[in-house]
Amino acid sequence: MLPIISLMILIALIGAIVTLFTKTKEQARMIALATSVVTLIGALYMFFRFDSESPMLQFVDSFNWIPSLGVTYTVGVDGISMPLVLLTAIVVPLVVLYSWNESKDPGKFYAMILATYAGVIGVFTSMDFFLFYVFWELSIIPMFFMINMWGGPEKGYASIKFLLYTHVASLVMLLGIFAMYFGTLFQTGIATFDIPTLLAQYQLIESDLARTMIFIALLIGFIVKMPAVPFHSWLPHAYVQAPTAGTILMAAIMSKMGAYALFRFILPMLPFTGSTDLMVSILAALGVLSIIYGAFLALAQDDLKRMVAFSSVSHMGFVTLGAMAFVPLSVSGAMFQMFSHGLITCLMFMSIGAIQVMTGTRLISELGGLAQKMPKLAFLMVAGFMAYLGLPGFSGFIAEFTVLNFSYISLPSYVIAAIFAIVITAAYHLWALQRAMFGVFNEKLGDIHDISNLQTFSMAVFVLLALYFGLNPSPVMDMIITNAEQIVGLMAVAGV
Amino acid sequence: MENILLFSPEIILAVTAIVVLFTGLFLKTEHKSVLGYIAVAGVIISMALTLSIMLSMTTASMFYGTMVIDSLSQLFKLIFLSVALLVSIASIKYVSGSRNTEEFYSLMLLAVIGMMVVSSSNDLITLFVGFELAGLATYALVGFEKKNIVLLEASMKYFIIGALSSALILFGMSYVYGMTGTTSIPGIAENASLLAESPIGLAAVVLLIAGFGYKMALVPFHMWAPDTYQGASPVISALLAGASKKMGFIAAFKVIIVALIALSADWRTIFAVLAVITMTLGNVVALTQTSVKRMLAYSSVAQAGYIAMAFVVLTPTALAGGILYIMSHAFMKAGAFIAVGIVGFMVLLGNREARNVDHIDNFKGLAKRMPLTAFSLMVFLFALAGIPATAGFVSKFVLFASTIEAGLVWLAVIAILNSAISLFYYARVVKYMYFMPAEGGRVSEPAPFAVAMIIALAAVLIIGIWPEPFIYWATEAAKVLLI
Repeated sequence: MLPIISLMILIALIGAIVTLFTKTKEQARMIALATSVVTLIGALYMFFRFDSESPMLQFVDSFNWIPSLGVTYTVGVDGISMPLVLLTAIVVPLVVLYSWNESKDPGKFYAMILATYAGVIGVFTSMDFFLFYVFWELSIIPMFFMINMWGGPEKGYASIKFLLYTHVASLVMLLGIFAMYFGTLFQTGIATFDIPTLLAQYQLIESDLARTMIFIALLIGFIVKMPAVPFHSWLPHAYVQAPTAGTILMAAIMSKMGAYALFRFILPMLPFTGSTDLMVSILAALGVLSIIYGAFLALAQDDLKRMVAFSSVSHMGFVTLGAMAFVPLSVSGAMFQMFSHGLITCLMFMSIGAIQVMTGTRLISELGGLAQKMPKLAFLMVAGFMAYLGLPGFSGFIAEFTVLNFSYISLPSYVIAAIFAIVITAAYHLWALQRAMFGVFNEKLGDIHDISNLQTFSMAVFVLLALYFGLNPSPVMDMIITNAEQIVGLMAVAGV
Repeated sequence: MENILLFSPEIILAVTAIVVLFTGLFLKTEHKSVLGYIAVAGVIISMALTLSIMLSMTTASMFYGTMVIDSLSQLFKLIFLSVALLVSIASIKYVSGSRNTEEFYSLMLLAVIGMMVVSSSNDLITLFVGFELAGLATYALVGFEKKNIVLLEASMKYFIIGALSSALILFGMSYVYGMTGTTSIPGIAENASLLAESPIGLAAVVLLIAGFGYKMALVPFHMWAPDTYQGASPVISALLAGASKKMGFIAAFKVIIVALIALSADWRTIFAVLAVITMTLGNVVALTQTSVKRMLAYSSVAQAGYIAMAFVVLTPTALAGGILYIMSHAFMKAGAFIAVGIVGFMVLLGNREARNVDHIDNFKGLAKRMPLTAFSLMVFLFALAGIPATAGFVSKFVLFASTIEAGLVWLAVIAILNSAISLFYYARVVKYMYFMPAEGGRVSEPAPFAVAMIIALAAVLIIGIWPEPFIYWATEAAKVLLI
């Protein structure tokens, strides 16, 4: 059988390298588009051939990489990673289409998109901790370049803060990986970085302290990437200063890396930490804190991009909350929220990017009445905002409803706190929409026209996808539930 | 019967050095670039021989047990020869047009022979002789441009401190000899209880660590390194940081780990303190440097701190990690210095009178002016910072992992924090190269420099992507140290 995942990563990497050396914009964007469409076909093939009934890894592809350390190159997908691989593969070609007219160093621009793409797919699919770390770190570098070369006025500060913040967190995670590796080595005599083996051996590490330390070390690595309040301070700078394509990649895909790791590593480890109840409380509290604090921060912003950045923090809080509730459906809802947030957040940042390009500003106070001049954008943007605030019919509703509904079973007080944030979420979305898009047209903005057809197309695809998965979530939900039940089942065995 | 052919790599180099020296006497200055090619050929033949001896897993003890051939010695010889290869290729450009080309190449080859003798020595006397041969040759190399006042200062500083460190080493060795009655390294190890019971043992350890510490550039014995690396020409800095410094490590491995293992309780504590202050000071001071060479010098100090962790942890993994780190660092640092040399060349091309050619402002927009150099330097810097898919990551991975294996979590945390700090100043250079507007047009790299840089780049990436053979040989070499 074809090693589809490895081929996807390889094609994306080769595409990135080839794009880097193209001379003209036309060549660069055609190669980038071709690369991302080919990989999308691979992802769709896997998605439709995926066995939703099985929690096992599928499409596995493995060989010995560094035998003397026990490192293997192993990639595969299961119900946790398949939706995210699909999401990534959908987002990238549309981002390429959206930024079809990038004229500053187009070769490098598309190359960075594809390099990030390769790194992220690697993170979602690697089943070896060494490989996972390699991809995890490698995905940061192209984003560092992206912010720095095409970013806004404070790009220098934003990019270095992003790089150092996430790098430090990754290094802390690396310590945790070492400890798990040697814990397994000392107990079984087997040197391996195989993720399922390390997770299975984790509970057998004798010292309570060691298990707690490992858990915290890994958690720091993941939660900064996600990010959850209070580790979010790199996010507003990075998201706001990055070019639209970079923001989309960060918000829609890279933030899922941390969230994905939550399900892959943190949940299976959680029952065996020295102090499970405390950890659950802390994490659930962080989730709720992110939901509420993110919403309040979003409410206070005048800059649309900053508003969506904080609202992104708020929405990612649902992922943490649902994961910590340990009910199969709440965990499924949390995973579905990753997928859904990925789709909708693209739409949000694309609208804002279009507004900025057209009017030269993102400040709500300087906008007004844009709907009159930009009807297509207004329509898509309204759809995006509605999907983001959780209007029934869109995928966001399914995700957040499932999380809140089923988390109530085990974490009622947290859910009650989070419910209030929903009001604020609705408030800032509608208020921003009203001030920026409707009302009297602000004549200072001058002569502006609507978004291009390609932009309309890529945004419309996201609206349709959000709508489709809102009305019929089962293609994605089925595979998610299988794995969520398996994770929660394992925990039930451990007595949590 | 001793097989003298096991030393054929050294013999080839010595012959090459003599041939280069004599041929140079009869050549006109404009024809002297041929000497560079002779030297390169000699180094390549020597590398091939060393590699074949290493791959055949030959072990031998020769000249009444004063010299040994084993995987450790061969691996270090290969490291020294690789750096020599990079330096001699790059120097074809650097010394072109100089009247003293033959002296340059023969001194460089002699320095490498000295380092190779150190890595093979099994006796304090041969070790010291090799150490001094390499030392004297490099003192002269640093001051190679006799008219350049900065170079002379660098050379003088290096020479005086080097002489002091030799004296300390010799003094320490005399104590060791006085207590144990032998200069043979295995002999000392057998009688080390005599040292361990006496306060003189501790004095000897302190003197030896101080002496070797100068070569390894451990804080507080590092103060020559920034001045010398900054002052010397980039190719020589590459030789010093890539090879000469590593000679300090192999000498310390042999004398301190093998011979004085009985006193490990004492020197592990000393090295723990030295490693921590070395990496911290190196990284913190590097943050504010505006001269890229000086920044690389301090980063080199910091990296020596990481490698010194191998002495503290002292497990097979740690030593393998340390050796792997030494190997990777040789390529990363030599490559980085060569890249800086290319930038210096570019600046001088624009303005003959330019000073401070390695100032960070000269790196502005390098990606536009010299894309290959900018890309290579970026890879070297990210490798030094420990970003995956490079040699720096793999070696840091093994070395840092060993601290966790040994339960020294505090050391791992300090090392990790340092590694995080270092990314800041490496990323700053990348920022200058890629994100600042260029001041000047496209310049093409001189071919010899470019070839040397590409070899180093390939080595850094190969070790990073397919580290298996390198880890294997580093582990084999580490086994020799912990018998």
